[in-house]
Amino acid sequence: MAITRRQFLKRAGVAAAGTVMAPSLFGSPLVRRAFADTIGDRYLVILFLNGGNDGLNTVIPIDDSAGMLTDYNLARLGGGGGLRITPGQASVPSIVPCTDPGTGTALGFHPGFASTIPMLGGLSEMYDAGNVAVVQGTGYPDYSLSHESSRIIWQNANPAGLPSIASTGWAGRHLAQEYGPLDVRGVTIDNSIAGEMRTTGTSVLAIRRLSRFGFPLDDYEELDETIYKDSYSDLYSEAGGSAQPLTSLVGSAGQATLESTESYPPLDEKYENERSAFDDAYGALGTSTARDLREIAKVIYGVSSGEPGVNARFFQLDNGGYDTHSDQGGADPNGRHYELHSEVSNAVDLFFKDMNDMGVGSKVTMVIWSEFSRRIPQNSNGTDHGSQGPMFVIGESVNGGVYGNHPNIDPLALDTRENTVYSQDAIDPFRSTDFRDVFGTLLKHWVNMSEGDILTNVMPLDIGPAATYWTVQDFDMGFL
Amino acid sequence: MGENTIITESDLRHILRRTGFGPTPKDFSKADHLIGQTRGVAADYVLGLNRKVLKAKGKENLDVHNKWVKHLLKGKTPFIDKTVLFWHDHFSVSANVVDIPEAMTLHLINHYTYALGNFKDYVKAINKDAAMMVFLNTVDNEKAIPNENYPRELCELFTLGVFDLNGVENYAQEDIVQIARAFTGWRVEDDGVPFLNTNQHDYEIDFPERGPKAIFDNAHGFPPGGGSFTTSGEGEAEIDVVIDLIFDHLDSDGMNTVARRTAFRLLEFFAYANPDKTIVDEVVSGSSFDSSWNIEALIREIMVHDAFFETAATPPFVATTKKSVKWPIDYVVSTMRLTRTKAKGKFLILRGGQELELVDHLGNMGQIIGDPPSVFGWDWEAGWISSSTLLARYTFARDIINNRESGAFKPKRLMDLSLTDPGEIADAVTDVLGVTDQLTSIERDHLIDYLTDNGASPVLDLGDEDVLNTKLHGLFALVMQSPAYQLH
Repeated sequence: MAITRRQFLKRAGVAAAGTVMAPSLFGSPLVRRAFADTIGDRYLVILFLNGGNDGLNTVIPIDDSAGMLTDYNLARLGGGGGLRITPGQASVPSIVPCTDPGTGTALGFHPGFASTIPMLGGLSEMYDAGNVAVVQGTGYPDYSLSHESSRIIWQNANPAGLPSIASTGWAGRHLAQEYGPLDVRGVTIDNSIAGEMRTTGTSVLAIRRLSRFGFPLDDYEELDETIYKDSYSDLYSEAGGSAQPLTSLVGSAGQATLESTESYPPLDEKYENERSAFDDAYGALGTSTARDLREIAKVIYGVSSGEPGVNARFFQLDNGGYDTHSDQGGADPNGRHYELHSEVSNAVDLFFKDMNDMGVGSKVTMVIWSEFSRRIPQNSNGTDHGSQGPMFVIGESVNGGVYGNHPNIDPLALDTRENTVYSQDAIDPFRSTDFRDVFGTLLKHWVNMSEGDILTNVMPLDIGPAATYWTVQDFDMGFL
Repeated sequence: MGENTIITESDLRHILRRTGFGPTPKDFSKADHLIGQTRGVAADYVLGLNRKVLKAKGKENLDVHNKWVKHLLKGKTPFIDKTVLFWHDHFSVSANVVDIPEAMTLHLINHYTYALGNFKDYVKAINKDAAMMVFLNTVDNEKAIPNENYPRELCELFTLGVFDLNGVENYAQEDIVQIARAFTGWRVEDDGVPFLNTNQHDYEIDFPERGPKAIFDNAHGFPPGGGSFTTSGEGEAEIDVVIDLIFDHLDSDGMNTVARRTAFRLLEFFAYANPDKTIVDEVVSGSSFDSSWNIEALIREIMVHDAFFETAATPPFVATTKKSVKWPIDYVVSTMRLTRTKAKGKFLILRGGQELELVDHLGNMGQIIGDPPSVFGWDWEAGWISSSTLLARYTFARDIINNRESGAFKPKRLMDLSLTDPGEIADAVTDVLGVTDQLTSIERDHLIDYLTDNGASPVLDLGDEDVLNTKLHGLFALVMQSPAYQLH
């Protein structure tokens, strides 16, 4: 009973004749294709740690050569000693050097990065294999302490609040430049489309689980499937051509959805059948991050095996719970921060083992970010909102190591909010990394956009003093 | 245009749709005497609809959720029900994070008590709302290190907003630090009664280095030194005085910040996203909301304003036409009421298709009331629309029309099955679902093409079980899944 593409196109064509603007169901093969597919045969996965990850307890000073361990202890020993992670408790890489470039301070990871699960080594082991770039001190000028404002700033790559890019995401602007509104290249593992993937059109799917992504038909409608779907398609094509913005958005979303409900759900069974060992391994981890990454793995498996109608290259998922105002915990395995780090570390390690086994290990890069770090001094057993923190870029093609400087946590260097200070001063050993340089390096070296295109179409430079604003880009950070 | 504009039948449907769930034929017939009367009379009718404080009790969070949904489905008090949904999004609390069902019952009682009352009193009540105190860590706020979680959201989300309507910052971090001091030591008894543990309260004499307890220093209409919140003494009164000060805050136009922002958000809820500043100012001044803080008066002013009627525009739509995406809870409750579908049992199972509980349908659509994704509530408008949430809406529609055996979905109770003309049948179905005037003639033709198999069967016999089950049930699903039905 499956409807053929030809039948669809025929009907869509009839509808389009009545409405000059209506786009065809399968994306315009014309205009947009003048550009090259710049990501080529690669994949980009964006993982958002939602709530503000405590960077100071994620990448931790473990020696006092520059006085940083003393400052760390001062900040995290108060309130009953709750949050401090000692050098002995930290997970310390032994093969690839892990040292702060600015001060030479030795660094370790939160103990949750070391896996206790058989066959998995966690992010610590991946770091030692040279597949993890830690980018320290990432942030932006005039930081916001609001979850929502800061998250939107990151997702839109728009600290200056420019109206022209206020409703689209940084990855979404790349997609909008390269692909037609019905050419689906992005997938968010969620109910709603992630902010960084928002585009002016809709070329992004939100999929929670592939197994539930089929178009729902009643038994009787199934007997009538062709005309039913044709009529659906006609209604949505008509709406897609509407001048009214929300009507048009619903129209395009519905058209892309119908097409994808034909091509995406079979990927679920294909993966289960052909990669059952990995399928089970994600299930055994049992965490939401593991389950979400498994959905991405299914899609990548489908794309890399050439399944028709499946072309996604950009993925986004998130893990929540990082807003640790209370019950954060230090090195205790039952603490909330420990559980969060352990969940992500194990799931990411398994995901890359899966990618390697699929033969696409060198084709997948993951970037991990959070909307802000947390306050340097702790409160009783938690931390309030903060400023710059670490990002991670992960994959076989990544040049592992530490990039960017640790923020200056000396109490005298903190601002009036007791947060670390954003700096772009070239001679400052604590110079921050603007997060746009990280995304820009990804776009330039992984997605192959030109610097000019990135600056013009994705992220314009700030206007302001060079020492405190992002006025000069560095899209060659070196991790790719 | 305004108070004295005469309303049409289409206007009345719009009013009832936006201030309730449906409207069902019964809802409509009770109100149809309003056609030909003024907007003001219609607004007063809606304001005069029954109200009742919902006491949704249960052992589990899910019980509270289901009682709440069941109450909405009954539709006895639609206006306050709809308004409470707005405030639930505004003062967002997640039952699953709080995880004290009794606190959620009290929380809902607070919403129903204040939803149409005095906004200043409402915020003061939220300060001491047990669920909120747990959700945003007021109960963890200690004098040694004041916790900023609630104070920040109080300013950012509940009252002022980070920025005013001109994009100018409304407060400084220092203001948050000071407000956090006011809330130190507030705790809640097991029965949900709040109290101040004075041992954990930040008294100025204990923490002189934190400065005088004052906010908005020489800014936002306050003098040098700012507004002090110890004017009624230190301790219990501080959290009330803080609210009084916030409600006196002026924005960069010298206008009342809280009044403008609250009106802006209510306009977004009842009308459409991003209303112009002039509209905001008109409804604030028309209701004196910036001094009376009377929510009911503010909403009445919105309901007689042209902006409220803009989303009722009929096709053809142009670029400036305003529309709004139906919330999932609105989609579900309205659809069930319009199709006279009942959910079964304590778990509110929709007996068709997958036989899912309503909470699962709603979760797939992205809105479990009582459990918003974060303190920011839900992401409205385009945020409701994705492939995933659209498919959830389609699945719900499919499950409604699939519900044949147990007889819950019976088209004969909704329309005249003796109709044979496909155009009349299409109109009857879109009438039931309330979207007839929202369809373009081309969209109507597509519905007719579906019924007639592109003209192959120009007359339909709905007495034929197969035709009924396939085409008529199918048409109901198609309309519920159509773009027009997602909007209002």
